[in-house]
Amino acid sequence: MRRTPVSAALTLVASLCVAASSVAAFDMSKLTDQVYDTTLANGLKVIVMERRDAPVATFVTWANVGSVDDPKEYTGMAHMFEHMAFKGTETIGSSDIEAELKLIAYEDSIYMELRQERTKGRLADSARIAELEAAFNEARDAAYELVVPNEFGNIVDREGGVGLNAFTSADATAYFFSLPSNKAELWMAMESERFLTPVLREMYQERDVVAEERRMRTESNPIGRVVEEFLALAFKAHPYGIPIVGHMSDIMNYSRTGAMAFYEKYYAPSNLSVVAVGDVDHDDIFALASKYWDRIPYRPAPARMSTVEPEQLGERRMVIEDPSQPIYIAGWHVPEITHPDRPAIDAMLDYLGSGRTSLLYKNLVKEKKLAVDVGAFGGFPGDKYPGLAAVYAIPSQGQTNSECEEQILVEVERLRNELVSAEALEGIKARAKASFINNFNSNQGIALQLGGYQQLWGDWRELFGELDRINAVTAEDIQRVTNKYFTEKNRVVVMSETSQS
Amino acid sequence: MLRTILRNGLLASAAVVLAVSAYAIDIENLEYPRLNDLKTPDIEEVTLDNGIRLYIIEDESLPVLNVSVRINAGSYLEPADKVGLASITGQVMRTGGTEKWTGDEIDEALEQIGGTVETSIGQLSGNAFINILSDYTDLGLEVLAEVLRRPVFDEDKIDLAKVGARSGISRRNDNATGIASREFSQVIYGDESVYARNAEYATIDAITRDDLIAFHQQWVQPEGLQMAIWGNVKKRDIVRKIEEYFGDWERGGVTIPAPPEVNYEFERKAWVVDKTDVTQANIRIGHIGGLMTDEDYADRIVMNNVLGGGFASRMFNIIRSKEGLAYGTFASYTANLTHPGVFIAYTDTKSESAGKAVDKMMEVIETMKTEPPTDEEMQFAKDGYLNSFVFNFDSKSEILNRMMSFDHHGLPRDFLQQTKQKVEQVTPEDVVAAAKRNLTTDKMHLLVVGKTADFDMPVSEMGFGPATEIDITIPTAEEQRELVISPENLQRGQEIIERAAETHGGTDGFVAIESISRTGTLALQTPNGPFPVALKSWQVFPNKSRSEISAMGATFVDITNDGIGWKTDQATMQVVAKSEDDLANDRLSERRNLIAIFKSLAADELTAVYDGSGTFSGADVDFVALVDETEEAYVRLAVAQETGQVMGKTFISTDPSQGGAVREEYLEIRDVNGVKIASKTARYLNGDMVAEITLEEVTVNGPIGDEMFSQPQ
Repeated sequence: MRRTPVSAALTLVASLCVAASSVAAFDMSKLTDQVYDTTLANGLKVIVMERRDAPVATFVTWANVGSVDDPKEYTGMAHMFEHMAFKGTETIGSSDIEAELKLIAYEDSIYMELRQERTKGRLADSARIAELEAAFNEARDAAYELVVPNEFGNIVDREGGVGLNAFTSADATAYFFSLPSNKAELWMAMESERFLTPVLREMYQERDVVAEERRMRTESNPIGRVVEEFLALAFKAHPYGIPIVGHMSDIMNYSRTGAMAFYEKYYAPSNLSVVAVGDVDHDDIFALASKYWDRIPYRPAPARMSTVEPEQLGERRMVIEDPSQPIYIAGWHVPEITHPDRPAIDAMLDYLGSGRTSLLYKNLVKEKKLAVDVGAFGGFPGDKYPGLAAVYAIPSQGQTNSECEEQILVEVERLRNELVSAEALEGIKARAKASFINNFNSNQGIALQLGGYQQLWGDWRELFGELDRINAVTAEDIQRVTNKYFTEKNRVVVMSETSQS
Repeated sequence: MLRTILRNGLLASAAVVLAVSAYAIDIENLEYPRLNDLKTPDIEEVTLDNGIRLYIIEDESLPVLNVSVRINAGSYLEPADKVGLASITGQVMRTGGTEKWTGDEIDEALEQIGGTVETSIGQLSGNAFINILSDYTDLGLEVLAEVLRRPVFDEDKIDLAKVGARSGISRRNDNATGIASREFSQVIYGDESVYARNAEYATIDAITRDDLIAFHQQWVQPEGLQMAIWGNVKKRDIVRKIEEYFGDWERGGVTIPAPPEVNYEFERKAWVVDKTDVTQANIRIGHIGGLMTDEDYADRIVMNNVLGGGFASRMFNIIRSKEGLAYGTFASYTANLTHPGVFIAYTDTKSESAGKAVDKMMEVIETMKTEPPTDEEMQFAKDGYLNSFVFNFDSKSEILNRMMSFDHHGLPRDFLQQTKQKVEQVTPEDVVAAAKRNLTTDKMHLLVVGKTADFDMPVSEMGFGPATEIDITIPTAEEQRELVISPENLQRGQEIIERAAETHGGTDGFVAIESISRTGTLALQTPNGPFPVALKSWQVFPNKSRSEISAMGATFVDITNDGIGWKTDQATMQVVAKSEDDLANDRLSERRNLIAIFKSLAADELTAVYDGSGTFSGADVDFVALVDETEEAYVRLAVAQETGQVMGKTFISTDPSQGGAVREEYLEIRDVNGVKIASKTARYLNGDMVAEITLEEVTVNGPIGDEMFSQPQ
């Protein structure tokens, strides 16, 4: 039944060689020719890709603001504002906007007094707090009376919008949904309105929702707990060390005033890009963008956050006692995405930890069965600033974090000492190409990529330079960056170990 | 006009408010151009002689080939004592390699070009897919044909899949959401239902390579396959190629049974899982749901949108927006094609508001039966469905996968369009009627997972009657076994144990052993690694034994002598008389000794029962349970099918200090006086390795003085 592995491998390899050259000839211009862009007078970037498959389109607003921009005492504010951007505008979400704005102003004035008193901690006057809380609750309920709940989302739903959502990362905030493609104007109208006259109604109810989100994603989730500690350990100066969702005490002290100040500073049109991908005409989109987004006056874009993480003086390591099963994660500080070493680092991480033929999977999962899952990824938690290249392992039942770590370090050491083979390098590049091409199969996927590259590189065209950068990587580059960055001194390790109950 | 001023960019920011009010957008009166026609892709359909049905779309936009195969086989077909078999079969079809290539070779070949071919088998159907650059179409198809037709189910990859399955079981209580969705299914469908049952250590252990081969052989057959192909292909070429790789696969001819029906009885009941490391209560309320072919399916679509789907729904408005009680909340009366779905209302809220959230949820659900949807709600609920209808057709993968499923279940091709027409006709009265007919609010189940100590009220007071606590402790394989003492199993057990005795040198050799003394090393597993200590033991059959463990200058002694005994107390380091519990455990230990077992066999005093087959220490084994006078098993031996060698044993230890499920694996076997006994043993307690015992010197029938077994001074 079994034939020799060598001969079988040969048949496979033989069938591979036939076609390799024609894929290399894939004509990128087929894709780039469908992308158009313009910049409005207020600095807003507009990017369009025409894809005529089905009469639908995805629209994205990409804001160059992430949790790294959170003000002190307001950790998680970028994320909180993202939630608030669904609460409507002066024209969407109110039954009587003038009266509502007055009630909101009153609600805020009491809240700021209450916040002031609460933050005195042990010296706070509890009677005063109780009095203010009662007044605040009344003011909050009064303001809510005039709210048309979820009107923004309702309109999108009603008009056939799907996938209405947003995310906040360390680097960026993105808002998106898809519509039947004849309704591009609806998107332009609503989306520009939401960043022209946002009304942060239901601020304090939504704050509780965000607190629940933190409980769900971080506090009640073993992996969430590990990741929060991992980032805190890795970054002592740079805000990559602060959780995107924010610390609970900051969440509970958010104010609308703080959120509006954040909006004023970061949601300047010059700090945003909008992207439309689908069955649309770029001239129509540019005209609609101008019609609606030109209403927002120019404001200068905020300065880039400038704190630099100092060089690490030695390995940082932490063990969490947790009731759940063990989890291992290690990271090494690496530069931002635009740094010339990043393509080699990403190639190295692919070979180390992506797929069933990666060094880590072969060693830890297939051969030693130490882990059920293992992987490597770069740019964590972000790519805009120097971040981490990370490796994780989920030990198999009865196996330990330290056994996994030992083998992970063996494989990293291998890459420090040995050049990757020509065949392995070819595989890395072929995977990059296939994954690049497959990323062009959905409107939303493309739109988010264009927005991301526009932000991080200042030009969406860099998306199409991705393969050139990977293709230029040599085996020597991979060895060099492994020796440069993947050192013990530059390493951060967090393990969660099962506590004995 | 201000609009003009704005256009000219003369506006100062101070004027924004004024400007906006003058140039307010008017969303209600936007005029949209006509929507471009939906170009329904041209689908070529071909049925091969062996029954494989092809659905093909040519799409040259990217140089990619995609194939998605629906396999008419599911985990509902696997036996209850081997839950996990279908899933592992689906996985190892691909990872375990084929007659032509090993799984590792397939991994290398595909990853070298960034291609993917994967297989899986789920609850009701299986799937195989290809995603590969179209230059490698032949390679992709050949790998697909190989893994579907000629998988060899390599043992090592079966082990790997089992490690994954066991690890999944060991982690299944780490996440509250996972617990809640698993237990809710069990509450609704019953814990033995094919729609809710779980793999357990015992069911994974019971799965053998032969089972995988048989499952594949029986259920994966060409007439059960539907194959969707889209991408950079020419129809004629691709049909010819598929003929080439699949055309000579002969029909299996097996009729595959339909998924079983569900028997559900409505009742009101509360269930709780206490999980102390979370800050949220995960709440689920509901009962059985319906079928997509039900008369009022369209009414329920509208009902779901009004009640619990999306931003406009009552659940979202009340639970999340108004009360700020949750980030995640929804409700839906779900429907399947084969068996009833569930009605489920869900909320995640902080522990302190669990009771309040349950109250609010029930209030909202109840409104569906009493408050007809307003015009606005109807508009949102219907328009949302109707206006987004085009998104059912915006991806080729979605169009084709849905078509395969509808064809398989005998639904008309235009089922979605028919449903759309019905949705357009639904009235508020229809929604209320559907709610009254389908939402049995006084007989729902409530399941809450969370830190009950922090709840605002006990679950028993949340309006669903006294709460039943669900024990989610993961049963060990040992605890789960059910022994069947039948004449067949007795006979087979006897045969296996007799063969084992032969393999170990014959019973005569064991009978000849009157005493045995040993020296060796006991390596205790500690968090800091193995900690070796010296071990000595003396044993005079049947009931005298002494062991000494020496570490760091101290010696722990343990003596048993015909019903009495002494041991070193670990706390005080004094030698004390053994307790009744100690002595009871000693009597069991004496019976579990392998030498004693073969002596009993020789004396015809052993009752051995065949107790299933599985793998143990990497070998295919038969298990033999040895039972006492009350028919309780006191030990199970794992006997290698190939050699008859005893690979180890498992038992539940009642040792007062170290009780639990014990597994001993014999890592090395040594010849002593013509019989084979274990010279190296790994000992596991509740799944964790606790010690490794390595023997150095073994002396049989040497002089052992009686004073060795008397009370130490």
